[in-house]
Amino acid sequence: MEQFFNTYFDFSLMGDYFGDVLEGFWWTIRLSIFGGVFALIWGLILAVLRQAPGKALAPVRWVVIAYIDCLRGIPMLLTLLLIYGGLGTLQSEGTIPQWIGLPEYFGWPSYFWYGVMALTLTYGAYMAEVYRAGIESVPRGQMEAARSLGMSHNQAMRFVIVPQAVRRVIPPLLNDYIALMKDTSLVSVISMPEVVRVGSDIYSTTFNPSALTLGAILFLVVTLPLARLVDWQIKRQDEKFQRGLA
Amino acid sequence: MSDVSAESTRQASRGETILRINNLRKVYGDLEVLRDIDLEIKKGEVICVLGPSGSGKSTMLRCLNLLEMPSGGTLELKGETIFDGKRTEKLDELRQDTGMVFQSFNLFPNMTAKQNVSIAQVRVRGRKKDDADRRSVEELTKVGLEAKVDEYPDRLSGGQQQRVAIARALAMDPEVMLFDEVTSALDPELVKGVLDVMRGLADSGMTMICVTHEIGFAKEVADRVIFMDGGYIVEQGPPEEVLGNPREERTKQFLGLVLEH
Repeated sequence: MEQFFNTYFDFSLMGDYFGDVLEGFWWTIRLSIFGGVFALIWGLILAVLRQAPGKALAPVRWVVIAYIDCLRGIPMLLTLLLIYGGLGTLQSEGTIPQWIGLPEYFGWPSYFWYGVMALTLTYGAYMAEVYRAGIESVPRGQMEAARSLGMSHNQAMRFVIVPQAVRRVIPPLLNDYIALMKDTSLVSVISMPEVVRVGSDIYSTTFNPSALTLGAILFLVVTLPLARLVDWQIKRQDEKFQRGLA
Repeated sequence: MSDVSAESTRQASRGETILRINNLRKVYGDLEVLRDIDLEIKKGEVICVLGPSGSGKSTMLRCLNLLEMPSGGTLELKGETIFDGKRTEKLDELRQDTGMVFQSFNLFPNMTAKQNVSIAQVRVRGRKKDDADRRSVEELTKVGLEAKVDEYPDRLSGGQQQRVAIARALAMDPEVMLFDEVTSALDPELVKGVLDVMRGLADSGMTMICVTHEIGFAKEVADRVIFMDGGYIVEQGPPEEVLGNPREERTKQFLGLVLEH
């Protein structure tokens, strides 16, 4: 038992490397915030395009559906490696501009932004499905009422449907956000010094995984309250729903 | 009573054809829901459409503002063709001129009564928010809800919600009002309040097409009653004729069943 604690909970080691691990976790947080916000926006755009009305816009719907299916069907790690392996080369050959091929906004390294791209592309697809479920859960009569008042499809979506859908999708989106946050650890493979990378680097010099344990604890500090928040939101909505029925 | 005089005012203000429907058809796959509907509706006219469920009456109503795309035929509003077999460019304009009230109210649950009535005025009619809100309060007052302007729909009874829905449609200054079984989802004690509002609206000269099961309302308020069955207009005419002395066997049967209880 003591052996177990010494292996995983070596407090003096945790103390020595606390600053490094925290710095890594700060990258994790930034990855999850940028990736999360962009995925939220990208997912909403995809979801709205997927609902585009009429025959003329059918190709748009097909492209969006194909995109969503593909990105959900590929491991995010693969998407990340495809971005990492291609964009730099394409940029250096002049095929794509620097702002996308070798982005360094805020002076942060390109592999940070590659990570943000992969998170956005993949989680945008997941979140699009959540939004779609939300949009479809708004009763048909809402669209009909809006249209009968002379609103265009886009106006009805913007002023009537989406505001109602967004409320319903907050809990599932938060769930996706928790998953996204954990998947930021994949960016470690393209040498992003986020918390998992930092922890395993420390392990490879000290041969003790306590820094990784510390990383796990930092994750839990954020994800556990988020999980509770999801439950609380769901409960609150259930109550509202029941009141609506009464 | 004043019913007679209200009736004659309405007759006097009538004349011009406001909505003309020719050969209106609607099919779902192999199922013909509407067959060759011809109808001419004059300004200020109040029409009640009766018929068994599945007779096509609601579909017809929904075709009139193209919530349901007809499969064929033509529609004219104020002499302007708004449908001639294919989707019209002027779809949204047409719908601005036809108010619709639904069986299930369809208020926007995330908005107060006032916001429900204002939103399309601002976004579609381009009114300033203050002007729209003022108008909304005015319309809500007319339907007896001046005390409820800031309530959300889930705090209103079915009858109150339906009256908000009527106010919402009226605030758009429609030429025609379409009512789709608007009292069918209401508890019996709430029906009267809604019918009273509709009665007042009819007296004020609004052109109305009401799909309804309220025979009494049709008898009292309608200028013309249309009986539909199997996607056809079986019989139409003044209420005292269609309801009091129907010519067609199917109308008699239906009225027999409805009036039995």
